Amino acid sequence: MSAISELSSLRRSRAKTPEEKRLAAKEAGRDNKAGYLFLLPWLIGLVVITLGPMIASLYLSFTNYSLIQAPKWIGIENYTRMLSDQRLHTALWNTFLYVVVSTPVQLAVALAIAVLLNEGMKGLAFYRSVFYLPSMLGSSVAIAVLWRQIFGTEGLVNQVLQAVGIHSTIGWISDPSYALWTIVLLHVWTFGSPMVIFLAGLRQIPTMYYEAAAVDGASWRTRFTKITLPLLSPIIFFNLVLQIINAFQAFTQAFVVSGGTGGPSDSTLFYSLYLYQRGFGQFQMGYASAMAWLLVLIVGAFTAINFFASKYWVFYGD
Amino acid sequence: MALSRRRFLLGAGGLAAVATSGGLVGCAPGSSQAGGGGAGSGALALAWWGNPTRNKNTQDEIDAYMKANAGVKITGQPGDFASYWDKLATQTAGGTAPDIIQMDMAYIAEYGGRDALLDLSGVDTSKFVEGTVDSGKINGKLVGINAGINSLVIMTNPEIFDKAGVKVPDDMTWTWDSAMEVAAEVAKKGSATFGLAGIVGSGAGLGTWLRQQGKELFVDTSLGFDASDVQAYLESMVKYQKLGAVGSVQDISAEGLGSSAKPLAQSAFVVGKAAMTVSNSNQLEAINAASGTEMELLRLPSLAGKATERKAWYKASMLWSASAKTKDPDAVVKWINWWSNTQDAQGIDKAERGIPCNTDMQAFVKPQLSKAQQQVAKYIEDIKPELGTTPIAPPPGGGKLDDVLFRYATDVLFGKSNPADAAKGFVDEMKSDLQT
Repeated sequence: MSAISELSSLRRSRAKTPEEKRLAAKEAGRDNKAGYLFLLPWLIGLVVITLGPMIASLYLSFTNYSLIQAPKWIGIENYTRMLSDQRLHTALWNTFLYVVVSTPVQLAVALAIAVLLNEGMKGLAFYRSVFYLPSMLGSSVAIAVLWRQIFGTEGLVNQVLQAVGIHSTIGWISDPSYALWTIVLLHVWTFGSPMVIFLAGLRQIPTMYYEAAAVDGASWRTRFTKITLPLLSPIIFFNLVLQIINAFQAFTQAFVVSGGTGGPSDSTLFYSLYLYQRGFGQFQMGYASAMAWLLVLIVGAFTAINFFASKYWVFYGD
Repeated sequence: MALSRRRFLLGAGGLAAVATSGGLVGCAPGSSQAGGGGAGSGALALAWWGNPTRNKNTQDEIDAYMKANAGVKITGQPGDFASYWDKLATQTAGGTAPDIIQMDMAYIAEYGGRDALLDLSGVDTSKFVEGTVDSGKINGKLVGINAGINSLVIMTNPEIFDKAGVKVPDDMTWTWDSAMEVAAEVAKKGSATFGLAGIVGSGAGLGTWLRQQGKELFVDTSLGFDASDVQAYLESMVKYQKLGAVGSVQDISAEGLGSSAKPLAQSAFVVGKAAMTVSNSNQLEAINAASGTEMELLRLPSLAGKATERKAWYKASMLWSASAKTKDPDAVVKWINWWSNTQDAQGIDKAERGIPCNTDMQAFVKPQLSKAQQQVAKYIEDIKPELGTTPIAPPPGGGKLDDVLFRYATDVLFGKSNPADAAKGFVDEMKSDLQT
């Protein structure tokens, strides 16, 4: 509650005569107006940039819309077509695999580094920045291009392998058995943003718990599992929810690494990349809109499950 | 901890909702306002894809035109073939398509069939070689002006042949099988990555092969072949790959094709790792410039071993189209007319976009052609007796044939599928793409 509204509600509760009450109500109304006025920029943004296009895309998902000509209403045909779309199923599977593997691994790495940094080492600010750097670069086109080079047939990875005596001619990004995993690796590498959040969380755990545990002779491992993990669980949960949603929408890395095709052999065809191909490559924006709504449902379901499951493992200190 | 459960859940839920909606909003129509549309009369945006040679030529042409026509301002939007089409689709959807658009045969029906292109019947095509105007007609309406005559070639690097001690074969009599044997031999002896690059999954390659059997890639708005043809094609690709003629599976995949193709300067042929590659005749100049090697032009093989039966065709290397939404149709028509029919323009472009369609311009540029362009002009002239009918432009949904074929071909080569299943999958997918 803001100070102003607190003040006005205080006045209202103290108002005794009808005249006083009327004045207080008027003042409260003015406060509300001011509140909405301050909200306006955000509200306009929400309606124009988010809500409007969302409603438009819901409508378009029931149409045949080529981007160039006016949309034609076709009912649920786009949705029924998805059932028999093999590439859609491939894309769902790839994305699912990517989310399920890369998110936990990324969070584990982020937590491990955060715990290490929290041990009170010298130059914390420097290391924190260094580890955070990939997060700022990771989803950029430049890094994806770099990845393409590193994992190419004559890239850095094969040269390093060569140096240690392993002769490798595998094109890590041109072989369907490995391509997806190079992108998983890229995603894990960008562990910086969950790490920073973990670090902040670790700072909030009162040191007295650790001191008490140390006095009782608890091992490092016990302290981690009995104190750190439970008290950090809301933060872990928060990171998990955000990173899962984030991973479902992965696009740039796959787009650049595969040259926009999702290749080789559709092994890096992520859901949003396929959506893009349908919409802008094949002029099927109606179908692409339907795909977007399916993604909303899937991500929504994952998030709901997450929130439901959180009851059983997330510990709130209150 | 200071966080209360309720506040935390609310916050996380709100963030989750906002993060989720991001995916939707990103692809909402009209959300992209970037790109330079023509802002009023006299100012035109001109988009093309190309290579350093073409980029320079085109900019010189624009400058020359602006000098001669005071008050006209043309902004160039050069690009790469692979990303060009994504950008054009996005711009068209956002209503900011460039006024003048360099168009490809693979996409002209996609745009023209959906009334996104301007009627260009105002452009003077009276001096054009017979048949070259029709390439730009979609549903009877002229929406693309042929920018130059082109034909499919097998470009050959004589240095690799020399190094391997293999003689460049006679392209009048070679068959697909004998060509692949040579490719395998030269790759092995010349230690090249590819004997012949750019053939696996190439729509033009499949088209050539089908035409020699009396079929076509497209007939009207559907496919001109069935799954058994594709199965036979894929089986022969597997055979040639095992023979060592077309590179390792890894290399084929890394090289890419269609929208996944490496940029010209990094392609195996330009960096000297392929003895031969499937290409278009007008590319010779750019490839020579990029590689520093004087390449040679060979015909595509035939099934019968007779070049006269190989059913070659003249292709529009590219076309000039214009956005139906341009604010200044007259200025657009005037520019395309100038580009196609004047010595000022053709003197700069010469044969980089293919041999000029206007016969006067052909005669004009002939003495000015570089050595490479003379080679191209001679090739185009030489193959006249080998021409079959001109194939139709791919119907809407057909422009991605290369990408789809390449995907199924690599599926087979990586052992993820077999030729029979892949052929069926390819035909089903193409049919469904053509319907929508």
